[in-house]
Order: sequence, then C-alpha cells, then structure tokens
Amino acid sequence: MDFRRQLSAEIPVLRRFARALTGDPALADDLVQDCLERAMLKSHIYDPSRPLRAWLFTMLRNLHISGLRRNGRTTVVKTVDDLVNGEGAVAPEQENRLAVGSVSEALNRLSPQHREVIVLVGLEEMSYRDVSEILGVPVGTIMSRLSRAREQMRQLLEDRGHTGLRRVK
Amino acid sequence: MTNEQNEHMDEWALHAYADGELSPEQRAEVEALMARDPEAARKVADWKRQRELLRTAFDVVLDEPVPQQLAAALRGRAAPSRVTPWLAMAAAVLLLLFGGLGGWFLKGESAATTVVDLGRQALDAHTVYAVEVRHPVEVPGTDKDHLQAWLTKRVGTAFTVPDLTDQGYALLGGRLLSGDEGPAAMLMYEDKAGQRVSVVLAAPGTDTETALKVQEKGKLIACTWQDGKLSVAVAGDMARDPMMVLAKAVYDKLEG
Repeated sequence: MDFRRQLSAEIPVLRRFARALTGDPALADDLVQDCLERAMLKSHIYDPSRPLRAWLFTMLRNLHISGLRRNGRTTVVKTVDDLVNGEGAVAPEQENRLAVGSVSEALNRLSPQHREVIVLVGLEEMSYRDVSEILGVPVGTIMSRLSRAREQMRQLLEDRGHTGLRRVK
Repeated sequence: MTNEQNEHMDEWALHAYADGELSPEQRAEVEALMARDPEAARKVADWKRQRELLRTAFDVVLDEPVPQQLAAALRGRAAPSRVTPWLAMAAAVLLLLFGGLGGWFLKGESAATTVVDLGRQALDAHTVYAVEVRHPVEVPGTDKDHLQAWLTKRVGTAFTVPDLTDQGYALLGGRLLSGDEGPAAMLMYEDKAGQRVSVVLAAPGTDTETALKVQEKGKLIACTWQDGKLSVAVAGDMARDPMMVLAKAVYDKLEG
C-alpha cells in the first residue's frame, strides 16, 4: 500500500483523536488537514519500521500545542468545586442525554497535559511506550499524569452522576 | 519502602493492568491484589467505564464521512505524476497566496511574520551581493568546513551547508548578515551560466513549523519556511516553478 493510501486509512482515527484533543470539530479538522499536509511533506523521513499512527499523532499533537501557544490561549482549568457549586445539579431525567456531553465536558476541564494523556491511553489505546514517544516524556511521567487525570475524570463524572456510584439528587 | 510509595506502586500496577501493559504473570498478581482489595477492583472498573464513555463520545467520529478538505489534502499527488508531494503542496500554497485567498495560511501565525521578514532580508541581501563579481562572499566555498563551523556558531543553531550540486549549483561561499533576530548566515551558490541563488538561515529563537511562504521583489523571488529552530529563505532571480524545486532540494538537504 502506498503512503498516500496508508495516510488516507488513518484519517478517521486522526479525526477522532483531534476531536477529543480539542473538543472543537472545526479546529480538529483543521489540525488533521495540517497534519496530513505535513505528513506528505515529510514522507521521506518517515521510518516505516515505526507505527504510522504514532508518527501522525506526534505531528498532530505538536501542531495543536504550537497552535495553543500561538494564539496565547490558556486553557482555564476549572476545579471540581466549580462544577459542584456552579453548575453541578443535573436532573435525573437528563442524565442519559448528558452522558456523552459530560464526558466531553469533563475532558474540557482537564489541563492539556492530563487531557492528552487520557485521550491517548484511554481512547486511542496507545501503549505507554508510544505515548511516551509521542509526548516526549518518560513513561513514569506518563503514568503519574494518567493517574491524576483518571482521578480527576472520576470526580468530574461522579459529580455528574455517571459512574453509578453517586447519583445527583 | 514507605507505605505511601507502596501505594503508588500498587496504583501504577492497576493502571498498567487496566491498559493491558502487563505480562500474564504480572496480571495474575494484580488480579490477586484486586481480589483482596475491593477498592483496587473498584478503581479498575471505574477506569474501564471511563474508557467506554470516551469511546461512546468519540467513536461516532469514525463513522462520519471524511470532509472534502481532508480527502483533498491527499489528492492530486498520486504516483504517476512526476510532481512530488512537496511540490504539489507548494503549488497549492501558491494558488492560495496568489489566487485571491492570500493570507489564509497566515492565520494567527506569529512565526509567519519572522519568516516573511527573513524572506525580505534574503531578497535585499541577494540584491546587494549577488551582483558582486569579485566579492560576493566573505568565506569561499572551498573552505566549506570553516564556513559551516563559523556560521553555525554565529547563528546559534546547527545546520549543514546544503550541497546543491545535483541542482547544478556550486557553493560560492557565505557571509554573515545582521538580521532582525540576530546574526543570519547567507550562503551563495552559482550555476554554470553564472546565475546565483542565496540561502539565508537564521535562528529566530522559536521552535515551530510554518507553512511555506513565497515573496517577490521585482524579478526576484524568495521562498521561506521555518522548521524547528531554523528559519530558511531561498532567494534568486527565477520563475516560481524552478524556485520550488530548488527550495525543496534545500529543505531535503537541511533535513538531512
């Protein structure tokens, strides 16, 4: 299979990754487009012995990070308390409808570092080693970020009543 | 080990278990731990639930039709054409820049400003020095090792002086320019007909990647980009197409 076809086959997964990373469909597709163009541009330095997906994720993620820096966008990290006190109460009949929305929303509340690690491991099911290469940090760091990210997700989702552990009254 | 450290190790083992990172023996150990410790089992179940929620939320993207723009990003670069992918992209950029959609690629890019500045400098410097018959450069190309060591040191970012022999250009040599962002290296090349081109390299102090930009000044054309810490401009008196080919060659040589 030629390189272009291989890239083409990765588009759906790249879009999912970008969507989860940004939470913004238009921005996500812009990133995927930039990533594909860059991949074509750099095809000659792609090492076929390494997984293509991890290579593409690395580029897409770097484009995302430099986009965040460029726009000087600082993600406001809200705490669990904000959620509980501010907008916490969800009526029980809304729960099912909100299940999907709230996981995206919970992701939104994580710091970019926690978000990317939970998306890569929890959604894209990349190995710790691949994630370590994609993010350029040691596996130990990945694991401690993952641990914190999952704990925050748990709390955020719990407050929304989707873990089955505690229902919002 | 303290209790706290122990807990840490256990916690990590649970994550590794949940993510399928363990050998069968390790898995058995963690399963034994979970059997003893309901809290551990609850955590693992909870992470599994998180995974399901994430997939429910985002797997729908997999079934969406691929937007036109993305399919188009890969189209028109199929093998039979001798047009390289890079060239096709450059052509697309040119269409955008000169086709009334100018500036689309410049959206929000501060690095773009730097790169455009470098292009302008390259055009100016080429105008001044390319016409010099006897002193186009400070250090001749015959002293390539010294030239590279000197310019790399002054610019502050390592690069290899590109060998453009395959493109028909011999290295005349180089000089130091005083750029907006500090010292810039200017390399000059000449083909058999005496036609000269310049490659200007600078380290703007950022680490980013930009799209390709094209600038013109009279008959001169410059092609600029930033890749990592190095920003690059290729300038010369030629048409766009050969400039694209040349810029692509420079890009490849610098990439190593």
